[in-house]
Amino acid sequence: MKTTKPAVITRVIKMDRGKRLIAIIMLVAICPLLASCYDAREVDDLGFVIAMGLDRGKTNTLRMTLQIAKPMAGADGGGSGDDLPYEQFSVEAPAVFSGLNMINTFASKQISLTHLKVVVFSSELAREGLKPYLNAMLRGKEFRPNMPIVVARHTAEEYLQSVDPKLVTNAAKYYELVFQSYKYTGLIPKVEFHDFYLASKSPCRNPVAILGDAGKFLSAEEFDIKNSTYMDHHRSMPFEGDFFAGDIPALGGARAGNVGLAVFEGDKMVGELDGTNTTMYLLCTGDYIHSYWTFPDPLAEGRYVLMDVKQSRKPKHRVEFVDGKPRIDIMLNLEGDLVAVQSDIDYETGDNSLVLESAAEDYIKDHVQKFLDKTINEFQSDICGFGAYARAHFMTWAEWEAYNWHTKYKDATFNLTVNFKVRRPGLILRSGTSEAMESRRDDQ
Amino acid sequence: MIKSLLLFHEPQVKKPFILTEDSGNVNSGNTNTGEDSAKTGENKEPSRRKKNENLLLKKVEKIKLTDRRERNQKDQKSDISRQLSENLKTIEERFSASLNGDLIIRQFDITVKDSTIAAFLVFFDGLVNTKVIDDDILQPLMLLSNLDIKGDRDDILKYIRSHILPHNQLKEVRTHQELIDEVYFGGCGLYIDGLDAAFAADVKDLPGRSVERPNNELVIRGPQEGFTENLRANTGLIRKRLMDQNLIAENIIIGNRSKTPCSIMYIKDIANETLVNEVKRRLKNIDVDYIMDTGELEQFIEDNPTLPAPQILATERPDRVCTMLAEGRVAIIMHGSPFALVVPITSNDIMYSAEDQFLRFPYSNLLRFIRILAILMSLLLPGIYLAITNYHHEMIPTDLLLAIMSAREKVPFPSVVEVFLMEISFELIREAGIRIPGPIGPTLGIIGALILGQAAVEANIVSPILIIVVAVTGLGSFAIPNFSAGFAFRILRFAFIMLAALSGFLGITVGLILIGLWMVSAKSFGVPYFAPIAPRTSGGFTDAIFKSPAWKQEKRPDYINAKQQKMQPRISRKWALANENNQAGGDNTGDQNG
Repeated sequence: MKTTKPAVITRVIKMDRGKRLIAIIMLVAICPLLASCYDAREVDDLGFVIAMGLDRGKTNTLRMTLQIAKPMAGADGGGSGDDLPYEQFSVEAPAVFSGLNMINTFASKQISLTHLKVVVFSSELAREGLKPYLNAMLRGKEFRPNMPIVVARHTAEEYLQSVDPKLVTNAAKYYELVFQSYKYTGLIPKVEFHDFYLASKSPCRNPVAILGDAGKFLSAEEFDIKNSTYMDHHRSMPFEGDFFAGDIPALGGARAGNVGLAVFEGDKMVGELDGTNTTMYLLCTGDYIHSYWTFPDPLAEGRYVLMDVKQSRKPKHRVEFVDGKPRIDIMLNLEGDLVAVQSDIDYETGDNSLVLESAAEDYIKDHVQKFLDKTINEFQSDICGFGAYARAHFMTWAEWEAYNWHTKYKDATFNLTVNFKVRRPGLILRSGTSEAMESRRDDQ
Repeated sequence: MIKSLLLFHEPQVKKPFILTEDSGNVNSGNTNTGEDSAKTGENKEPSRRKKNENLLLKKVEKIKLTDRRERNQKDQKSDISRQLSENLKTIEERFSASLNGDLIIRQFDITVKDSTIAAFLVFFDGLVNTKVIDDDILQPLMLLSNLDIKGDRDDILKYIRSHILPHNQLKEVRTHQELIDEVYFGGCGLYIDGLDAAFAADVKDLPGRSVERPNNELVIRGPQEGFTENLRANTGLIRKRLMDQNLIAENIIIGNRSKTPCSIMYIKDIANETLVNEVKRRLKNIDVDYIMDTGELEQFIEDNPTLPAPQILATERPDRVCTMLAEGRVAIIMHGSPFALVVPITSNDIMYSAEDQFLRFPYSNLLRFIRILAILMSLLLPGIYLAITNYHHEMIPTDLLLAIMSAREKVPFPSVVEVFLMEISFELIREAGIRIPGPIGPTLGIIGALILGQAAVEANIVSPILIIVVAVTGLGSFAIPNFSAGFAFRILRFAFIMLAALSGFLGITVGLILIGLWMVSAKSFGVPYFAPIAPRTSGGFTDAIFKSPAWKQEKRPDYINAKQQKMQPRISRKWALANENNQAGGDNTGDQNG
């Protein structure tokens, strides 16, 4: 402190410290200004759409139906009275997002699509082509890529209206579960939106969608089976899968039902397949998990053997070109557990089990063959994605694209192999006649 | 004056201390005494840079030492005089005898043969065991000294020491200061006329509690003894467990005025010498008047004062200190503090409990897994809740979303305010719970449970889901075994709440990265703070995060760079071998084969 110099230094340092402090405070203050909770939304400020239906509009291109979940339904449980767990809105608009804007004018909460569980198209719209809507759904970042796509045989609005979930109080849960039923019924295909979109653009395969409709029967007196496909399957009465959605004679639960699949070519729907054929479709793609099957009893006319059929291994595919035409080899590996033998014949042991196995193999083979023929003759659409295996024969992508699989698929022939084994007899280990049982009891 | 305040910087070490393996091994043969540590440290490093650094350090040290010496010399007017009256005067003056009521100066005469020699005792009442003084010092001097004396009596000093005083801890001192230090630490000073030396007998009986159960680090399985406030009791508790002849307890005194005795403990042939020297260097170079507790000491010697996580382990469990000493770490024990400090530690040491060592390994692995979960929850849960409910609605199951929605429907505040309200009230309950006098403690539980748990929800101030979040967060923070680390996570939790409120998961991610960088760059006594994981050393994941069975822990932690890396041979369960040597009836040579 001899000279004045240190004082100056002190001052400089003081200013420096002050400046640094100000800089830090400003940086901290700027952070919230920059971010400022920019896109923060409280959950209770949003209306979450759980299902969206798209129909051809009366006054505009689209009629959009939205189901918005009510917050109370989830927490309070019980589902008091006739109150639906959702609010339904309809609007006619030129496109999906303009429709959302219009709904926001009268819905109190901001619409969010982040929890959208399903998109339903009417078959009318699907037959005209879904390209304009798929694009919007893919670009819009709120759409989930794994939501199922449903084609309603009549209108999407009617389909959504008929969803009155009785088994679960929560509509969102209903949609989550109902489209998982392919895992244990095999009557609807496994469809996810991103996969659907890819398939609609793919040179190797064509997409499918779940076929849905509101049930047409309101009381048991109206039941009929005139729309069933059992005649096509050469049966005297319809099996569980011989229906299209909406035609099943059933009452109770939600009126909306899903059976079968909608066949597409590119983004255009070209036809429908019933539940039985959908099972065959799942077998061919390997998405099949397990379901109950009704087999005609090979040893007792008019009786049935019911088995729980599982896929023991994924199917093996191979595509060869014979005389320029594709020959598709498919090997299915299945196994079955007996769940009911109506005739009480001992199928558990000995030769009878072999008889049952070969009868089942023939039965499955016959059905798969008919399904594949249908894809060729009726739709000329490779919905099973065999193109992916044919692709292996081409050196470059350009060659493969030039080959144009979609036009060649109609010439394909199939070589089917089905391996079927009866594994478990259920809780009855050995069927016996009642006399045999009696005599055994006498011996003791 | 302002200038010196503003410009003051602690003398900075240019190169930070890094614990390396080599330097420890070079010197491993030498025995090391406390005084020449700096010298050996210098010899070890031939490189010029290191030498320069050491020179600098030495210089700093020298300045401090001379500083201290000067101060001492000022106090120390003269050495002990041969005149007893002079000594008495000095002592009375130095101890402010006229003011100090608890100072006892007892004058008496020693009869040797036919002459009487005047003498006096000086001690503080309350620090000493008066019975020992009566029986072992006064009695022999006053009564027994006139028994028949054989041999040479020229050197009275030697004679008294070797023949008359039967006390076991008798120190001969040459300066008043030495004696005064002893008297303050429970000693008894004895001046005898005609001698230029005095005796300091250790007769201390310091008031304090006895060894009790540790209050904070509770275990179910394992020893139930905790440290007390008494230095020697604490070192004794460690010696009792580690009967290793290489266990060293070096004395050091910290505090220019408080003169607090401390003990540095380590195992001579395991602990890395550079580490021991570094601990000594840091402790010796603390220039402070008073130091009361290891909590204060910790702040004086830690590497990064601003790092949220503790870099020194404070424990009240002797068994934990022993385990860590056996790994090659160094412990610091301070008189008056029931917490021992252990250095160095790494981030995973703060999530260990003493019990881990004593439980079978599947059990302790379950506990460790739960603790990791607890740390994550106490740090991130409110932040994640905010991020999800404000930004990432698509991440939660729809059912839960609807539940949160209906729970929040009637709440008037944004969820950030809700979270802050609850977190702050939780911290309030916690702080109040510690400060509340014992008898009214239970009321706090009622207030907390009723007001916060139920009434707040019923009044629609907060949503019930948030109560769950805050409660689980609180549980998580209580499950962190280290008290200081719990603080760290509590502070950081608020940072994460802010970040999540500002920018959702982006903010949380940025926060995690920043804290990660901060932690990874930190060091605890030369050991990287995330040592077994980043930088990765051998056994990083098997022994640091999860624990292997006791018989499989063959090596000491790599990052401690102990002199002996191996703790036990590859086969430590010798009985499992089909070998005749290890039969029970034999002469127990099996033990030595290791």
